[in-house]
Amino acid sequence: MKLNPLTQKKIRRFQSIKRGYYSLVVFIIMIGISLFAELLINNRALIVYYDGEYYFPTYGQMIPGKVFGLDYEYETNYRDLQKRFRAKNSENWLVMPIIPYGKLETDLKEDRYPPFPPSFQEEHYFGTDNVGRDIVARLVYGFRIAIFFSLILLLANYSIGISIGIVMGYWGGKFDLFFQRIIEIWSNVPFLYVIIIISSIVVPNFMMLVLIMAFFGWINMTWTMRTVTYKEKEREYILAAKSLGASNVRILFKHLLPNTVAVIVTYAPFSVSGGIVALTSLDYLGFGLPPPTPSWGELIQQGWANMNAWWISISVIVSMLITLIVVTFIGEAVREAFDPKLHTTYE
Amino acid sequence: MIIYNRILLFRTVFCLICLFLYQPDQVSGKESLPEGIKWLTNTTDPTFASEQAKKGGIFHSSILSFPMTFRVVGPDSNGSFRSAFDDNQLSLINIHPNTENIIPELATHWAFGDDKKTMYFKLNENAKWSDGKPVTADDFTFTLEFMRSKEIVAPWYNDYYTKEIDKVIVYDDHTLAVVATKAQPDLHLRVGLTPIPRHFYGKPDKDFIKKYNWKIVPNTGPYQVSDFQKGKYIHFERKKDWWAKDLRYFKNRFNVDKVVFTVVRDINILWEYFKKGKEDVFSLTMPNYWYEKSKTPVIENGYVHKIWFFNDTQQSAMGMWLNQDREIFRDQNARYAFAHAMNIDKVIKNVLRNDYFRLEHGFVGYGKYSNTSIKARRFDLEKVGQYMRSSGWNRGGDGIWNKDEKRFSVEVTYSNDEHTPRLVVLKEEAKKAGIELRLQRLDPSAAFKKFLEKKHDVAWMGWSTSLRPQFWEHFHSINAHKPQTNNITNTDDPEMDRLNDAFRNSLEEKERIELSKKIQSKIHEIGCFVPTFMVPYVRQAYWRWWRLPEIPGTKMTGDLFSPFGSTTGGLFWYDKDLHAETEKAMKANQKLKPVTILNELYKIKS
Repeated sequence: MKLNPLTQKKIRRFQSIKRGYYSLVVFIIMIGISLFAELLINNRALIVYYDGEYYFPTYGQMIPGKVFGLDYEYETNYRDLQKRFRAKNSENWLVMPIIPYGKLETDLKEDRYPPFPPSFQEEHYFGTDNVGRDIVARLVYGFRIAIFFSLILLLANYSIGISIGIVMGYWGGKFDLFFQRIIEIWSNVPFLYVIIIISSIVVPNFMMLVLIMAFFGWINMTWTMRTVTYKEKEREYILAAKSLGASNVRILFKHLLPNTVAVIVTYAPFSVSGGIVALTSLDYLGFGLPPPTPSWGELIQQGWANMNAWWISISVIVSMLITLIVVTFIGEAVREAFDPKLHTTYE
Repeated sequence: MIIYNRILLFRTVFCLICLFLYQPDQVSGKESLPEGIKWLTNTTDPTFASEQAKKGGIFHSSILSFPMTFRVVGPDSNGSFRSAFDDNQLSLINIHPNTENIIPELATHWAFGDDKKTMYFKLNENAKWSDGKPVTADDFTFTLEFMRSKEIVAPWYNDYYTKEIDKVIVYDDHTLAVVATKAQPDLHLRVGLTPIPRHFYGKPDKDFIKKYNWKIVPNTGPYQVSDFQKGKYIHFERKKDWWAKDLRYFKNRFNVDKVVFTVVRDINILWEYFKKGKEDVFSLTMPNYWYEKSKTPVIENGYVHKIWFFNDTQQSAMGMWLNQDREIFRDQNARYAFAHAMNIDKVIKNVLRNDYFRLEHGFVGYGKYSNTSIKARRFDLEKVGQYMRSSGWNRGGDGIWNKDEKRFSVEVTYSNDEHTPRLVVLKEEAKKAGIELRLQRLDPSAAFKKFLEKKHDVAWMGWSTSLRPQFWEHFHSINAHKPQTNNITNTDDPEMDRLNDAFRNSLEEKERIELSKKIQSKIHEIGCFVPTFMVPYVRQAYWRWWRLPEIPGTKMTGDLFSPFGSTTGGLFWYDKDLHAETEKAMKANQKLKPVTILNELYKIKS
């Protein structure tokens, strides 16, 4: 793929801003890990060798205990199975992921009551929450939900916001006036309260929550896009495209949009962190995704409710801090890379 | 001033004229008291308040959400805060919390008619409404008129006061009889009516619901609302010259001058408030509070005391109520399988520290009326398999039961965040049994509304109790398939209806006990209710300047610091000197002796 020399320059500039560049690398690794979390943190084994056959339980349907000669029909407890294999010294074997606990699995003990503190021996490296679920598992799976929530939300918000904003700026006149008023009214609806009211009546699922948030989230982008379009459409290249007989749609999406991309790209990382914070705070308040979905907000809530169990709040706060810092660094670097004045520095 | 006096004079004259016009009508045509009535009273049962109690102090309490209305009848009125209003409305008579004998309240004397369906009452002549008007026999007539009125939109009350109570006969202003529709053994539980002030309501009209949403109704009890702000707080003030304050069973009770209910929507914040002394009492019934969270300086330094008090009373029917209008639960096998898939014992053992007890059925603690032979269905994977397979379900690839593209996945609606850990464990265990639970937590009001409108799959809740088991409202088909009734399982079973009607119509105590047991077996057989836990005790923490009697509560006590409640409430009092002493100690960082009281006087022996 051949890139526009200007774009290449921007990418080089971005790469030269080390803080932002490495943040992006870290961020991609984080997403990568979370995408393959089932292979790293799971109560299902990676490979089971049993009576001459190989099983790969990680993805796909559950394998009932009967298959491995156990006396139950529900999902195999692979940690137990491993112990059994070892005790029998049989030639069967299995490999567990690094953290052998699932995101929803409650690991309860006799005569002790959760939350359990961190323990290397039990492989609960960050301890457990108030029902004995592994905190690392909750964090990683919670991160996956939060990050994809905010990416999808970003996509939804930006496609609506940009389309409407660019059209407002391009056509101007009555259309612009009309939409301005609509947006003014819209933006006066206290959206957090609306979400809280809706979620106290129906507990929303993932997509519904995205929809509700997008319903109010597209507004911010319209203002910026409208202004930028107003500026851009007076440029000569638009006039040239018009005189060549280009259609409105072509002008909007082929000529105007690519020239406003700098604005969009600089806003995006901050919207991502905004999305994460929004979902986390809704979960914290108990109006987000229903339990037992792994969620950072719920962990913060638990940390607050169990102050003595310091490992809950510390691990979730540190994870949150790292994520938000990484995203913010990326945002800063992108902004700088797209800055026409090359002298801005961030210290 | 002159104008005012004139108006007053005019009103007095007007009232006199009215009275004059009204009086003859009252007397003529009225029945006279039958001969040979044997008046009874009770001045000999032991009192249970403390002689040492002193009046004074402000008691700070809280509510989780503001009531949706102040009415105690009509839509949305059946919330938990209504008890604060009900508790300040006295009835003709009451039950002694330890002996269960009849004790006087608004009536000083009572008598039983030979027909076993009439009870005669002599009203206390000093009895007054909070607005100063005397309580008269006519107020009881009005109770019937009011409760039967269609305008109050309360089908349950309409029905109850039509089918259960026949009439109120007024002999004079302070003598009346209440007649039940049929003879019955526990007549006194049925006909001990609560008066409703006619002078306040007038005739209920079609605006009733709206008009009385936030009206303060005159009452006869020890406290009355003095101030409130919607969504924020409600204050109750003690009536300084309450007419009943020196009666035998009310003496030395209801000691606090003012009771402040603040809305605190979060139990963790409430706990923080309590530790700061902004709340006076905190419930420690939850195991994690009693064991873990109470390891906190204010308790360890002895500024706050803990008490564990066992009672001996009806247990709330706490559990999972299955909506039989949902396709899955129409099948009895699926209901049984669901019950066998709930690993309640594991929750009790691993989450609740064996502090809670398994509830065997919905009507435990009703004495002779309880069917002790019923045992709740235990967690049993094999039985789940049998029931499901016999109804043609098969395990899907995800391990969940499957039939005609339908998964056995049901929504469990609950409202208390503290219950989440229990439900999470149940969910994980149910998965083993091939049933998926989807947890849905709603605000208490929203959850209750959802249940009453029968929009739930599984309702996770408990009902309040009464002296005798109530079956009709929960299990009769009359209340099924329609909103705003308590039959949230939509039980619709002809045999159950027959038993229910028989129970309601029965005259003989023996027969009623038999029927009660049969109904409980029938409920178990239908399997629409999965009983979960019972807590036959109360555990609380309180700042040490609050004092309790030597025997801190009664057999029926559910909350040692209930400020109202004519049966067991208001036993505690405020000790000014202890308050000063504690504050001094706190300021000087001086430690006091930590106190944990354990009282097992009334513990049910097993």
